[in-house]
Amino acid sequence: MAREAHPQEFERINEYTWELSRLFDGRMNVPVRIYGNERIFEQAFGDRSIQQLVNVAMLPGIVRYAMAMPDMHQGYGFPIGGVAAFDYDGGIISPGGVGYDINCGVRMLASAIYYEEIVPYLEELLAAIYRNCPSGLGKGGAVRVSRQDIERVLETGAEWALKNGYAERDDLACTENGGRLQGARADAVPSRAKERGRPQLGSLGAGNHFLEIDVVDEIYDAEVSEAFGLFKDRVVVQLHCGSRGLGHEVCKQYLRRLQSVPQRYGIPVPDRELVAAPVDSPEGRDYLAAMFAAANYAFTNRQVLAHFVRRSFEQVLAGKVSEWHLTQVYDVAHNIAKIEEHVVDGERRKLVVHRKGATRAFAPGHPDLPTVYQETGQPVLVPGSMGTASYVLVGTEHAMQETFGSTCHGAGRMMSRRQAKRKVLGKDLHRELTRQGIVVRAGSMAGLAEEAPAAYKDVDEVVASVVGAGLARKVARVRPVAVIKG
Amino acid sequence: MGRWEELEHTADLALHLWGVDLADLFATAARGMFALLVDLEHIPLTEERWFALQAEDVEILLVDWLNELLYWGEREELAAYKEFDFVELTPTSLQVRVRGGPATEYHGYIKAATFHNLEVRATEKGYETEIVFDT
Repeated sequence: MAREAHPQEFERINEYTWELSRLFDGRMNVPVRIYGNERIFEQAFGDRSIQQLVNVAMLPGIVRYAMAMPDMHQGYGFPIGGVAAFDYDGGIISPGGVGYDINCGVRMLASAIYYEEIVPYLEELLAAIYRNCPSGLGKGGAVRVSRQDIERVLETGAEWALKNGYAERDDLACTENGGRLQGARADAVPSRAKERGRPQLGSLGAGNHFLEIDVVDEIYDAEVSEAFGLFKDRVVVQLHCGSRGLGHEVCKQYLRRLQSVPQRYGIPVPDRELVAAPVDSPEGRDYLAAMFAAANYAFTNRQVLAHFVRRSFEQVLAGKVSEWHLTQVYDVAHNIAKIEEHVVDGERRKLVVHRKGATRAFAPGHPDLPTVYQETGQPVLVPGSMGTASYVLVGTEHAMQETFGSTCHGAGRMMSRRQAKRKVLGKDLHRELTRQGIVVRAGSMAGLAEEAPAAYKDVDEVVASVVGAGLARKVARVRPVAVIKG
Repeated sequence: MGRWEELEHTADLALHLWGVDLADLFATAARGMFALLVDLEHIPLTEERWFALQAEDVEILLVDWLNELLYWGEREELAAYKEFDFVELTPTSLQVRVRGGPATEYHGYIKAATFHNLEVRATEKGYETEIVFDT
C-alpha cells in the first residue's frame, strides 16, 4: 500500500486541478489528478481516497492519469469518483474499478406538467409509485420473469424491455449504449447471480437508491435544456438504482475468481480488492462479458421502473392534467467499465475506461450519442443528496481531451453512515423535509438518517468544480418535491 | 472470546476483529457483521445450516465465509446467524454448523465483504484483522 500523501506534494495545475507526480511512489505508472476547488481538495485528505488513487496509478497499462472527480471519497479498491483508462492491448480490467453495484446509474424522465398542476395529487402520485415500484430490502420486483427471460435480459438489455412492452423506442436511443452493451454473455454470469436477479427485476433496492419527483427550478442554458425537454417549473422524475443482487453477485464471484490471476500474468496488485486481469485474456474477457450482462440487467431494471412510473402518472393524473406523458431525457451509468476509443497524444486508441462513481460526459458530435443530442452533447445527470437540488449538465470537448469524457456523479459522501445516524435522527429529518414541502416515503427511519444531506458534500460546490475545470457545462437545476427512498 | 469494533469509513462499514484462535476470529467476524444489520439478542436459534468451504488462503476463506452467510441471510428473507460450531477450520478450509433465525428487519444493508487491504494477522494473543463491507 502507498504511503499517505500530503497537500504540499501536489502541484496546482489550475484553480480546479491538482496533480501528484508519479515520482511520489516509484510504483506509479502515471500521475494522480484530483478535480475540485481548494476546499474539496483539502477534504480529500480526510480519508483514504488519495491513497486508493495512488494504488490505481500503479496498475499496468493505465493511460494519462489516475483521476478523481470532486465528489470523490474513500471506497474499497478504487476511490468513489475514480476514473481510470487502460490500454485495450496490454492493459487490465479490474472488477474493483467497477464495484458491486454494476451499472448503478440515473435516469431522468421529463414532462410538460407544471408543478402547480401536480400539487393536489402529489401524495396520491407518490403512493401509486411506491405501490408500483418495489423498494427496500429483499423485496420482489415489479415483473415476473422466466429463466429464459433473464438470459435475454442479460444479453439484450433494454431491447428485452421494448419487446415486452416496458419501453418506448425513444427510451432506448436516450440510454447510454442504447441500453444494450454488445459483448454481454449470459453464460459468463454465475447461476447464483441469475437466481438472485430474477425475482428482483423492476425494483429500486435500498441504500442510497431513490426515486424522486422534481421540479425544474433553474435553466442555465435555454437552448440545450429545450433539446433535453426541460422547461422551467415543469415536473421531472429521477430514479437512481442499479443491478441489484445480480450485479453484487457477479462482482463478488469475479473478484474471488481473479484473486490468483495477477500473479499468473505478473500484474502487481497493491490491494487485493484491485485484482485485475489483462483485458485480452480468458479471465478478462469472461469478466467483461459478465459485467456487461449485469449492466444490461441494470438498464432493463431502470427501464421497467420507468414504465411503472409512467403507469402511475397515468393512473393518478389522466384526465386531471392536460398532458401526463413522461419522455426520457437520458439514462447514465456511473459504475461501469466500457471499451471506448479516445485520442491520446494525437493518436486514436482503444481503451477500457473504468468509471466508479463517475459519469460519462461525451461532447457534441460524438458518434455514440443519439441524433437528438448530436449538437448539444450528452446529458449528464448529477443527483444531489436527499432533499437538495440535482443538476443536469452536458458533456464538453475539454472532458474528452482530459478525462476520457468523464465528470462527477453526485454530491459525494463526507460523513460515515454511523456518524450520520449519530448526528441525525430519521424522524427529525422526515419532519424537516416535510417542512420544506417535500413528501417522503422511506423503507426505514435509520436508512433515511444515513442519507441525510449533512452526510454529503454540497452538490453546488461539486458541480461548480467540474464546470470550473471544464468537464461539463450547467444546463438546468431541479429541486425535489417528493422522494421515495429504498 | 473474540471482540469487534466498528471503524469509521466514509461510505461503507468496516470492522476491526480480534479472536483467540482462527475459529474465534471467524465466529466474531460473522457476529460483528450481523450486528451491523440486526439486534443479535432478538435473533432466535430456530434455523440450522451446514457450510463446507475451501479457499486458496485464509483471507479468501474469510471473505467467502461472510459472503456465504450474507447470501443465506438474504435468501431466507432476512435471517441472521449468531452461533457457530466449527467441526474443521484450517486457513484454507472450513466445516461449520451455523445457527440463527429470522430478523424482523435489517437496519442496514451489506452488499458484500470486500478484500480491501484485507490481511489476517497472527499475534501473540491470537488473530486479528480489519474488514470493509460494501454497503
